[in-house]
Amino acid sequence: MDKNQEITKKEDENIEKTRELYEASPTVDIYENEDEILLHADMPGVVKDDISVNIDNGTLSLSGVRKLASKGLANWEEFSDVEYIRSFSVPQTIDVERVEAELKDGVLRLHLPKSEAAKPRQIEIKTA
Amino acid sequence: MFTRVSDLDRLFGTMSLLQKKLNNLNSGYGQSSGYKWEIESNSPRTNLYENGDNFEIHAEVPGIGKDNLNVKIQGNYLEITGTRNSDAPEGYTTHKIERGMGAFSRTFTLPADVDSKKVGATLKDGILYLTLPKSEAAKQKKITVS
Repeated sequence: MDKNQEITKKEDENIEKTRELYEASPTVDIYENEDEILLHADMPGVVKDDISVNIDNGTLSLSGVRKLASKGLANWEEFSDVEYIRSFSVPQTIDVERVEAELKDGVLRLHLPKSEAAKPRQIEIKTA
Repeated sequence: MFTRVSDLDRLFGTMSLLQKKLNNLNSGYGQSSGYKWEIESNSPRTNLYENGDNFEIHAEVPGIGKDNLNVKIQGNYLEITGTRNSDAPEGYTTHKIERGMGAFSRTFTLPADVDSKKVGATLKDGILYLTLPKSEAAKQKKITVS
């Protein structure tokens, strides 16, 4: 009796799931000068519509989904559908309104301009 | 509890078998320039598809323009070389560099000969798409049963 009950339970667990999307971290380069911070992220094969860039409360989140045109069975597969996802802390001095992003040749380039108040200023000393 | 020596042997045996298999990974299909089993950050990842009369190779080459890529074919030997130039802007301090720059090279031995005159190549969104039609002799032929 007990064995029969176990068998039915196990069958319920064999629910078919579609293959989940792999998550990967895109490689990035980060540069900075007085006026802005630059972030370049490699996301080959991702189109503009599948990318989302969010800045919220000092955290920058990148997400880009790549769906390859399905080519049938591969003899050898080293890259496939993937979601590129990565988060960074950004300093509070970034002017969120003026952030720009461009996507070219599979590289996402972000410009994070610093707000005017944060730029270094030379203070002039007056002789009294 | 004593561990049986045969169990230990099997443990180490499988480890060295795994290492050997991993070392041979590169020699079957595409060889990257560099040590075996250490994949250089530069070597582009590729997929190989076979559709009847064509081979298709897709390679991840982000940030590389078509002037910096070279594709060479001879028979069933395919070589993809290229250079990735740094796009670091002048006058900026660098916080982090993760993307590999410089020259890369990858060679492939395809399962069949390719007709080099009919090869097509497209570069889109950082992925290189190569279409390699098989040479006549290598195509599959339909055999009628009388």
